[in-house]
Amino acid sequence: MPTMQFRQALRDAMTEEMERDENVFLIGEEVAQYHGAYKVSEGMLEKFGPKRIIDTPISEAGFAGLGVGAACMGLRPIVEFMSWSFTWVCIDQIVNNAANVRYMSGGQYKVPIVFRGGNGIAHQLGATHSHRMESVYARIPGLIVVAPSTPADAKGLLKSSIRCDDPVVFLESEKMLNDTGEVPDDKDYTVPIGIANVEREGSDVTILSYGRPLSRVVRPAVEALTNDHNIDVELIDLRTLRPLDCKAILKSIQKTNRCVIVDEDWGYCGMGSGIMQKIQKPAFDYLDAPIEYVHSDEIPVPFNHYLEEAMMPSVEKIVDAVKEVTYR
Amino acid sequence: MSVEITMPQLSDTMEEGTVVKWLKKEGDKVKSGEVIAEVETDKATMEMESFESGTIEKIVVKEGEKAQVGKPIAILAGKSGGDSKPAPKQAEAKPTKAAAQGSGATNQPAAATAVAASHGEAYGEHSRGEHATHGTHATIAPREDGAHAPDHNGVRIKASPVARRIAATKGIDLAQVKGSGPEGRVIQRDVENFTPVAKPTAPQGGAIERAKPTAQPAQVLTTRIARGQKQVIPLTKIRSVIAQRLQQSKQNIPHFYEAIDIDVEDLSKLRERVNKNLEKTGVRISIADFVAKAVAMALLQHRDLNSTFDGKEITQHGDVNLGMAVALPSGLIVPVLRNIDQMGLAEIRVRSADLVERARAQRLKQDELSGATFTVSNLGTFGVREFSAIINPPEVGILAIAAAEKRAVVKGEQIVARSMMTVTLSCDHRVVDGATAADYLRTLKNLLEEPGLMLV
Repeated sequence: MPTMQFRQALRDAMTEEMERDENVFLIGEEVAQYHGAYKVSEGMLEKFGPKRIIDTPISEAGFAGLGVGAACMGLRPIVEFMSWSFTWVCIDQIVNNAANVRYMSGGQYKVPIVFRGGNGIAHQLGATHSHRMESVYARIPGLIVVAPSTPADAKGLLKSSIRCDDPVVFLESEKMLNDTGEVPDDKDYTVPIGIANVEREGSDVTILSYGRPLSRVVRPAVEALTNDHNIDVELIDLRTLRPLDCKAILKSIQKTNRCVIVDEDWGYCGMGSGIMQKIQKPAFDYLDAPIEYVHSDEIPVPFNHYLEEAMMPSVEKIVDAVKEVTYR
Repeated sequence: MSVEITMPQLSDTMEEGTVVKWLKKEGDKVKSGEVIAEVETDKATMEMESFESGTIEKIVVKEGEKAQVGKPIAILAGKSGGDSKPAPKQAEAKPTKAAAQGSGATNQPAAATAVAASHGEAYGEHSRGEHATHGTHATIAPREDGAHAPDHNGVRIKASPVARRIAATKGIDLAQVKGSGPEGRVIQRDVENFTPVAKPTAPQGGAIERAKPTAQPAQVLTTRIARGQKQVIPLTKIRSVIAQRLQQSKQNIPHFYEAIDIDVEDLSKLRERVNKNLEKTGVRISIADFVAKAVAMALLQHRDLNSTFDGKEITQHGDVNLGMAVALPSGLIVPVLRNIDQMGLAEIRVRSADLVERARAQRLKQDELSGATFTVSNLGTFGVREFSAIINPPEVGILAIAAAEKRAVVKGEQIVARSMMTVTLSCDHRVVDGATAADYLRTLKNLLEEPGLMLV
């Protein structure tokens, strides 16, 4: 299996799917001539030409809407956003149109579209460019929300998302694009939407997380818990946030009796709060402690490096939460 | 301000209920969430808790009396603790836990339930909202002795949900467990590490002085009725239903019985091989599962027995829905495994285990207790050699399955040890004749002695 960067895994997924299906195309700011703001689409213009790799003006509402219309008419657009923070200006296209057209047309139109780009806090981008949009979109019936944490999952899930007949919100992170990992080069390799990955089996506590926090703080915290605190963690990478893999989560909590959720969202109405709403009732009789939720502090995301770090989940915060639920 | 406490609807079919016991008397203070009475329905005895805090001003329905659903059974006066919030017009009592019937559980002190009084009104209100949305089923659960035990001051014990569940399973009284969690919360490890303190439960006033139990846990000793004393036990609802229905069956249906010995030696070996292959799945097929499967397959071939009879017409069924008698402390119930003929052994195992477990927890739905086309009763685990069962009308047959045991059997000219099992078929002679029953038993015997035939 070749080892590659997260950005190449995304590129390979798109390239393979564009080779497989001529209806697939990529559209977004600087995706063509500049090879993508973060070089995800490097070389794709040369390979597929300007009809399928399309540069747009700085107008998210315009090209997101164009994508929805193209999808309704039978094409399969991939819409790249430079940052998910910018989708506040085109949320109407995603939430009102993409998510609802299939339902409101009584199934006459489907919307096979993938919206993708960097999500979350990506180091000193300031309050307006650091939004974590997962809870905004994961609550919308009609959308699918995917958040991979490894290059292999990124490729497999992006291919599944492009093949999916419903609109997919695909959340990456600018800070993950340089991550490397082994990625299958099989053209038929996909990762199913809606299935969580039990990344590490354990017996004392279940940690649920997804996307960038896994590599930034969660995996180091699991290592610290194992080595320094003798706590056996079961780590679940949720991978898909809607539909949530409740079955896998419950199976794990029934075994460990304790649960900690980690994300970089704000706590109130955050992604983790929504996950708790799904699981607290069916898990209730198996819990030995209240579910803990490690999230970012409820302040605008600071530009200052130290303040930004301080407001986000850290290894220490996760270790403390795990010790809390395991009564250590 | 006074509010009415009304008779709650504890099941879909409940129209009225009997107040078995008041745990509060007039003038007593009641906290929101506190259990105030035990109510008997057509199915079970439930505890009911108050949604409001206040003082019991008047008990309208006395112990032993009945009331229609929605009719007032008590009046609650004012709110305690100087709460100035206006009281809602009507306080509906909330069902909590189905009491284990006839087990003397009614002598337990009032148990506070899931709504901690210390959480105040906001949580009390919330809990009522939940109740209204989800209906009563979600909140009815078997009473797990010890799981809700308050200490002697009536204060709720703090314990994690899983600790409560373990305590209930192991029969541990939470009041005796020292909690090591925050604010003394009893947590999983406290219950798991708990060793019960032995306390003698020998009857008082008995003339014979018994030797004090030393290391023996108290549960081993049976409570006896003292010499010269008697104990009268009124029939619970479920017991009187059993009494009435079985008497009706035995009086009205001309039963006849046919027994057959089945050699299950090969089947036992097959079972071990199957289970070895299933090891990873955690599913272990029992002999009873094979028997259930064979019973269903044989019924497909002999639909005379897969029938119901209403006294006028015989109805033969395309579905094989197998009733399985389950013994509970409160009495016998018969959950139904629908379309068992279409299930493989693993599915039979998983589904029947689920039915039995939920039967024990009194969590079966009404449609899981009706619609059987044939019933089996299995006393194999008790080591019974053979027995006969009473038909569950309108069905026309019931199979009594006894234990598989090693017996000396003549094979050819040799006496050999073989695993043998005796089953006894009871039939309704109005519908089924002796030869029909015998034919069925022969098919069943063939299927179990040559299990490969079930594939044919």
